Order: sequence, then C-alpha cells, then structure tokens
Amino acid sequence: MGKFARETLTVDGVKTVVHTAGSGEPIVFFHGAGTVDGFDFAEPWADKFKVIVPYHPGFGESGDDPSFTDLHDYVMHYLELFDMLGLERFHLVGLSLGGYLAAKFASEHGHRIKKLALIAPAGMIDPKHPMMDVIAVPGEELPGLLVSNFDVLKKRLPEKPDLDFIGERYREAATVARLLWEHPADPKFMRYLHRIKVPTLIVWGDEDKLIPVQQTETWRKFLPQADIKVFKGAGHLVHLEKPEAVDAVAKFLS
Amino acid sequence: MSALRFNAMHFMPYVHLPKHHKEFNSTWVSFPNKFYDPARGHELYQRYLQELVLADRLGYDAIVVNEHHNTVYSMMATPNLIAAALIPQTKNAKICVWGTPPNLMLPNRLAEEYAILDVMSQGRLEVAFPLGTGMEYWANPLSPATARERFKESLKVILQAWTQDGPTTHYGQFYTYRFLNPWPRPYQRPHPPCYIVGTGSPETIEIAAELGFGYASVFVTQQRCHELNENLRQRATHYGHTIRPDQLPLLTFVYVAETQEQAEREYVGHLESFFSDYLRTIPHYLAPPGYLSVEQLKTRAAMADKLHGGFDFDAISGSFFVAVGTPEKVANQLGDWAAWMKTSHINCVMHIADMPHWKTVKNLTLFAEHVIPRLRTRTDAPQRVAAE
Repeated sequence: MGKFARETLTVDGVKTVVHTAGSGEPIVFFHGAGTVDGFDFAEPWADKFKVIVPYHPGFGESGDDPSFTDLHDYVMHYLELFDMLGLERFHLVGLSLGGYLAAKFASEHGHRIKKLALIAPAGMIDPKHPMMDVIAVPGEELPGLLVSNFDVLKKRLPEKPDLDFIGERYREAATVARLLWEHPADPKFMRYLHRIKVPTLIVWGDEDKLIPVQQTETWRKFLPQADIKVFKGAGHLVHLEKPEAVDAVAKFLS
Repeated sequence: MSALRFNAMHFMPYVHLPKHHKEFNSTWVSFPNKFYDPARGHELYQRYLQELVLADRLGYDAIVVNEHHNTVYSMMATPNLIAAALIPQTKNAKICVWGTPPNLMLPNRLAEEYAILDVMSQGRLEVAFPLGTGMEYWANPLSPATARERFKESLKVILQAWTQDGPTTHYGQFYTYRFLNPWPRPYQRPHPPCYIVGTGSPETIEIAAELGFGYASVFVTQQRCHELNENLRQRATHYGHTIRPDQLPLLTFVYVAETQEQAEREYVGHLESFFSDYLRTIPHYLAPPGYLSVEQLKTRAAMADKLHGGFDFDAISGSFFVAVGTPEKVANQLGDWAAWMKTSHINCVMHIADMPHWKTVKNLTLFAEHVIPRLRTRTDAPQRVAAE
C-alpha cells in the first residue's frame, strides 16, 4: 500500500493489521464502516507525521471477534493496541463510523488525544437531519451514495464484483450489523460528548447523501470549540473527493 | 419402509397481486402493504381454513402452517392464531406449526402459546423451530448477526419451561427469567414432537442432532436433502440419538389430476407464479448482514437465482420434489423419494400461489383417495431407486 508498511499484531486474541508510514508526531486514523476507499489518501500526511492506520476487527485485513457487539468493545480494543504500540498521546482522525468511534474514544480518554479530527462522523442523533440507515441499503446501491463524483470511487471497485469481493463486503456489513442493527444510535454518546476538551476539527462534504451536512450545526452545539470546514461539491467520502480536505486536516494537526 | 405419513401444507398466500407487481423487485419485506385488501384477505382466510379442515376430513395425518412476515407469500405472520382457529374445526389431524423463529419471540411466550395449542388440541400439536428466512429479519427488530446465538438460547428456555417443573430460573446472554413457570404445560409429555426446519446450514443440523429433534429441510435440492438427512443421522448418533424415519419430513409439491397432460396444464402456471412472483426477492433481503457465514453467503451467491425469481418447470421438478401427474405416477414418485431419503414422513404442499379453490379441493381429494391408499399399502423396496 504505497508508502505504508504492514504489521500484524495480536490484540487480546484478535489479529490486528496496522499500516504505518512516515515519522513525526503520530496520527491514528480510524476508517469507516467499509474499507473499499483505501488508505492512500493519507499518504500526504506521512510527509510530516507518523501515520498509523489500523484495520478494525471485523474489517479488511484484521480478524473477526464476534463478541464485539458494542462500539465500546472497539474503544477497549484500541486502548490495548495503543498500549502495545507505546502510543501515549497522539492525534486521532476518524471517518464516518470511525469518526463516531474517535469521538467516543476522545470523550472517554481525552488525556491521550492531542487533537481530534472528525470526517463526516456518524453517531449523532439528529431527528431533523437523520443519517441514512445504510444497513437497509442494498450493497450494490451504496457506492453511488458515498460520493458526488463517482469516478474517484469507481477505480477502487472491481468492474464485476467476484465472490471474494462480495464475501468481504458481506463480512464488513455483518460486523456493522453486530454493532448497529438493533441500536443504530446511542443517546448516551451525546450525553458525554461535552467531555471532549481537545482542539477539534470537523470536516464535511456539502453533498453528503449518507449523513447530511446540516449535522455540522448539531455537532457545534455539543462541541462549541470545534472548527468546522465544509467542502463544496463533495459527498460522504470527502477525503477522496477533495485533497484540500486532507490538507486541511494536516494543517489543523500541525 | 415404516407406515407413511402425509401432511397437507398450505402457505395461505395473498393472491390479489396488483397488475404492475413485477415493477417491484421483491414481493417480500418492502412490497407495499397498501396492496393488501382486508376484505379480500377475509375471503381468503375463510377459504384456506376450509381447505385445511377438508384435509382433516379426508384423512391427512397432519396439517401444516408456517410463519412469514411482510409478504404476499403467506398470510400467516402469527401461525399460532391460524392453528388455534383450526383446532376446534378438526378432529384427527396433527396440527403442525412449523413455525415461529424462537429467536424472534420471547421464549416464554412461545412456550406458552405452543402449550395452549397442545392442550386445546388434546396433544395434536407438533412444532418446528426455524431460524427464519433472511426476509423475516428485515421485518423484525432483532439482529440477524446474533440470530443463531439467540436461537439456541431461546430453544433452551423453551425446553426448560416444558421439561422441568417450575418455577425455574434462567440467566443467559439474551434472556433473564427469575420465575420460568409457564401455565399451562404441554399436553404431550415431555413436550410436543419437535423439529428444526431450515435450508440445512451445518449449525442448525447440529442443533437438531444434539437435541434428537427431527429436521425438515426446505427449498433444498433432492441431492442436498439426501445429504442433509444423512448428516443428521450421523451427527445425532454422535450425541446418542437415533433419528427415526418419521423425523425427516420431506417437502414435496404435489398435484394430481386425471391425466399427466391435464395435471401439468392445471398446475404448472401456478408453480411458475409461485417461484417467479411469490418467492421473488433480492439478495439483500435473502441474506441480511450476519445472517449467514461469509462462506455460506459465497456458496449461495454462486447458485443465486435458481430459486428466487426464475422458472423452468423441468429444472425445478428435476431439482426439487415436485410430483405432478396421475395418482399412479405421483404415488410412485413419492414412494421412491421416501425410500431414497429413508423417510416415512411426506409433507405435501397442496396449494400454491394463485391456485383456485376448485383445484385445491380436487388436488386434496384425488390425493387422499387415490394416492395415499396406494402408498399406505406399499411395503416393498422402492420400485425405481433414484441415482445416489
């Protein structure tokens, strides 16, 4: 994967694959509820930072742990992984479901976070501008909903999905179902968001079809200190569509 | 071969599909319920119940109802209500509820409802526990990803409620019972005959084997059904159980008429509609996330479209147990299949899709009067053994 070096660890019995590139202050990136978008977007960060990208259990190259039924299981998993990696304090960036996880981690373990960047984060209960229930969307319809400019995603998708590709997407969807089928949102998440005191950047695409950009206003209520940057003409995967969004995160963390 | 047993099974479909229904990619889950007309639904319930009552009068050994949600395929979202309506109208037939996914209902409640039916019918109840199709999970609030764990725990609670004097307690992963003490208890001791029903995933076969339950495989090919029956027998031995021939109900689609040509003319259109319209759904509904293992998903994706949405009479009748023709032909076919599958239990779907009342009555009657007697007296080895 380009600049990244791959490392396989066992975290509390779960195979965990971590990709690392660059040197400098560490940035940890939490990916979203799927991994087809890849991590190469983060290569520019490696010019100035040590970029650490783990695959969550149940996604991509990491192994499964069916006992993970709550986002908090992932918080515990990462506490353990960060201890293993000797990561005391670091910048944390999260995308979509990974943004939800990053914010949850930061609300519980803020002392370990230097700065927090959330890219189109999930997790907010906003009845006026609800997130699309992606579990209900057939897989073949999802790619079109992720971006405004389909070309940026098209090159990452097989022309005709084979059984392995279908199986891998199904596995990731199953992981998400374990977490979110019965409770797509957790009111307690918002209850404790105020505990995030670190500098925070929120990045969004104004054409996000999954999580409406209007949710930035709701986030502002919970995190008044947050800097919010909206990129025009970008969908949910704003980091793929707008290199400026990736730059903005790097500038904020510098 | 031990004495054969014959069930009359009915799906009770809602047959008044709108003309433009093919514009919808599924007649399950999301098919708008504005197309359900309760007045016509009432007429259908009246008619279907009569047909099953007739089956009892004609001497079928059992009547089978089952559960599906959000679909034209079945108007039995809660099959226990249908069973309760049938009990006072029938005398001899066993009432088979095959059945409610125990993981989609509170287990104490299901134990109670089945016990009520068993007591009401003076011990005529049989139950089968399905995991439920993938479609049922889109209609219900519980996760398909934890369905199998819930299924096992729910089953444990139900059996505990039936077999141990209450009150008992249960502290599990999904359910907590401080006083598991349901009234009434089942009429049959220790409990009504139980089956697992499914499409043969190794996990559910294992549950049946461990508990010594029967296994009703549904919508699997002939060859696969044979393998599953064999698997269950072997796995059950491992747990010290011997599976009897009557514990392996064989799902068959049956239509009897005066001649082969007439039987096909009267039946094939309905069978086609059954597969093309009433079973029409999409992969996303069939396999909600976590419902299948990734391996099972890949296996099923590889053979997709064989069952849901396409139709070829020869292919369907070659793959599944479809017996259509004269009484003699149907009797021979069923007898041969039963011998091949080493089962004595033949579960006959007697009505499908938009088959009208007269055909259903004709089918039920001809089968009862001309097929069942031929098979009841058949004690010989199969006349024609299908290739194994």
